[in-house]
Amino acid sequence: METALKESYIQKVNRYMGLQREDARISKSYLFVAFVALLLGGILGLLQGLNRAGMLELPYWLNYYQVLTAHGVLLVLVLTAFFTIGYFYAGLSHTLGGLLPKVRKMAWIGFSLKIVGFVFAVIPILLNQASVLYTFYPPMAASPYFYIGLVLIVLGVWMCAFGAFINVAHWRKNNRGQNLPIFSFFATGVFVLLFFGSIPVAIEVFMIIPWAFGWVETINVMLSRTLFWAFGHTLVNIWYLTAVSAWYVIVPKVIGGRRFSDTLTRIVVILLVVMNIPGGFHHQIVDPGISQEVKFLHVFMSLSIAFPSLMTAYAMFSVFERTGRKQGGKGLLGWYKKLPWGDVRFLAPMIAMIAFIVGGAGGIVQSTNQLNQVVHNTMWIVGHFHITVGTSVILTFFGITYWLVPYISNRTLTPKINRLGVIQTFIWTVGMLFMAGSMHYVGLLGAPRRTSYTTYGESATAMGWDPFMILIAIGGVLLIVGVLLQVYAVFHLMFRAPKGKTEFPIAEREEHDTYTPYWTERWGNWIVIMLLLIAMGYVIPIVDFTINAPPGSPPIKTW
Amino acid sequence: MKQSLIGLLLFIVLSLPPVVTLLESIMIIHMHMQMPLLVIAGALFGRYFQIHFPHFWEKWNGNGIPGITLFVIIAVYWSIPRTMDDALTYPSVEVFKFMSLFLLAGVPLYDSWKRLNVTLKNSVFILFTILFLSMGWLYLNVTQQLCNNYLLIDQITLGWGSAAMGVCIAIYLLYTTFTDPSQYE
Repeated sequence: METALKESYIQKVNRYMGLQREDARISKSYLFVAFVALLLGGILGLLQGLNRAGMLELPYWLNYYQVLTAHGVLLVLVLTAFFTIGYFYAGLSHTLGGLLPKVRKMAWIGFSLKIVGFVFAVIPILLNQASVLYTFYPPMAASPYFYIGLVLIVLGVWMCAFGAFINVAHWRKNNRGQNLPIFSFFATGVFVLLFFGSIPVAIEVFMIIPWAFGWVETINVMLSRTLFWAFGHTLVNIWYLTAVSAWYVIVPKVIGGRRFSDTLTRIVVILLVVMNIPGGFHHQIVDPGISQEVKFLHVFMSLSIAFPSLMTAYAMFSVFERTGRKQGGKGLLGWYKKLPWGDVRFLAPMIAMIAFIVGGAGGIVQSTNQLNQVVHNTMWIVGHFHITVGTSVILTFFGITYWLVPYISNRTLTPKINRLGVIQTFIWTVGMLFMAGSMHYVGLLGAPRRTSYTTYGESATAMGWDPFMILIAIGGVLLIVGVLLQVYAVFHLMFRAPKGKTEFPIAEREEHDTYTPYWTERWGNWIVIMLLLIAMGYVIPIVDFTINAPPGSPPIKTW
Repeated sequence: MKQSLIGLLLFIVLSLPPVVTLLESIMIIHMHMQMPLLVIAGALFGRYFQIHFPHFWEKWNGNGIPGITLFVIIAVYWSIPRTMDDALTYPSVEVFKFMSLFLLAGVPLYDSWKRLNVTLKNSVFILFTILFLSMGWLYLNVTQQLCNNYLLIDQITLGWGSAAMGVCIAIYLLYTTFTDPSQYE
């Protein structure tokens, strides 16, 4: 009896604190894998940067494209997916009063599927049988086991998405008529995108597998590229939406303020989810086989995503100003000084937001046909995604770790680790300024991406790129220092930091915030609108690629 | 009034010659983007008529059925291939297309929708599901050009697009039929 009472009391406390040990274990495992991936991916990134700058000769058993593939898979697939799921599952558990036992089970099955899938994908990469880069465009063909690994990863992600949906539906049944807590609302949006966004890539991989095994002779290259980018662009926005969730919900609390309008926040999430998937077309803006009119119309679809981003920028700076002024900031910009610049939980996401101003502008450049033709397939693009995912998203993720890891590990953030975090953020920012900045510039000079070191027969133009390549390598060295500090900070906070309670910082609504209409909760409607937009966005090119399909391409191994 | 102004602005933008040329150059964009956008512009503009002529709507469209019937007639009329062809060939038909979708489809749709009960709303959805699925079937199976102005590939694309729209509305109907909002709301 006493044991039963004791258990129920512990459960109650856990529920009140929002942290259940089993739930914490899930998030901890996901974050552990994410940061191991950061370490490995970071080291490979350094090798690649040094090799590209002509400063390091890779050993004969290691190929530049192999390193590039592994770097991409580890950082843009493993790190981001595991972090996103770990972070949102911790938040779902906190805001919905714990995960349901079956959801927990689904998260573990998802974890195992992803790990097994990852092993399947990584072995061919190590054997140099899958140096197809993380975009794996046909007609380059990897070992079929690489693609089977990807299928398992997608299945694992779906498992987690459905787990989240079940938990959300359960909460809504028990809290009728209430708006879903804002953090879980973001999680719902992200998992909706993860599920629907990965359907096209699943179709693509099921086209590729029989082709890679040799059961069918050829593949429709344009169709598979289109399916890839329907997923690829959505993945980009999943990272972005994850970062945005922290900007809207967490950062205001960290700086001692309140959230911006609840309704606006939810509308931003809905808009990003609904308009996202057809946006993938701007990645194919110079692809053949799509008429200019269709490309032109798609520019609107792509640029419409900038609209919620502008709303976010306004909302964030409004929160900063309001909070700074409440804390005594005077004058036009005096409030700036009142923000907690020495707190890594604020500093890292703040720099991330500033980087997004540059990244967003670069994205608009790339969505514009004529400008895209200047930068397409050059190092500019590499610079763009290092400033967006490599800075805006990752610095936000880093900032999150300084409270999330202690929260799930029942430990506390010490001033020493906070200082380390500030230094890490500084090093990362400078490293990225060197690296992404030089990449952008050298791209404008014509340096191609996805190409190992070459001087093109001592061509003067190619030699002119070298100084920038050396700057990229210097940036890479600074970034690996950043990676090491970050990984140390995460594992220290996970296993060594002093025991104690850390808060899951969710900001309150504004005191006089307007009522949030219930229609924001009708996800079924949003999903139908999203499906309509996807159908309208993709029907023209897909019908064209299928009906007027060329004979297709056999598998090609270019490395 | 802001809503009406947005509707009018959208109508003006859609009427600009380069926009007309671009949207009408692709068959599916013509039918599934330009035409619905004209209806949306009309629906937004409908607020103006509601404010200025409340008695007219109350008298003639009290239960919403006359308005929705007019909307359905106009919408179905513009889904006939011949009418699309005529709009591209004769400027007068083009003007009629713009005005009818804006004023005779969009405006009554706005006024009627809130007046309809759930059964009638679902009936409209079912009607359009059947219409779009049948159009999909027709355009995918006919081997001749139905519109002089568009190629066969445009027609097949429109077929797939219409079928996809029909499927999306069917998903919506299934979603509303098989979920019980009272469990959540």
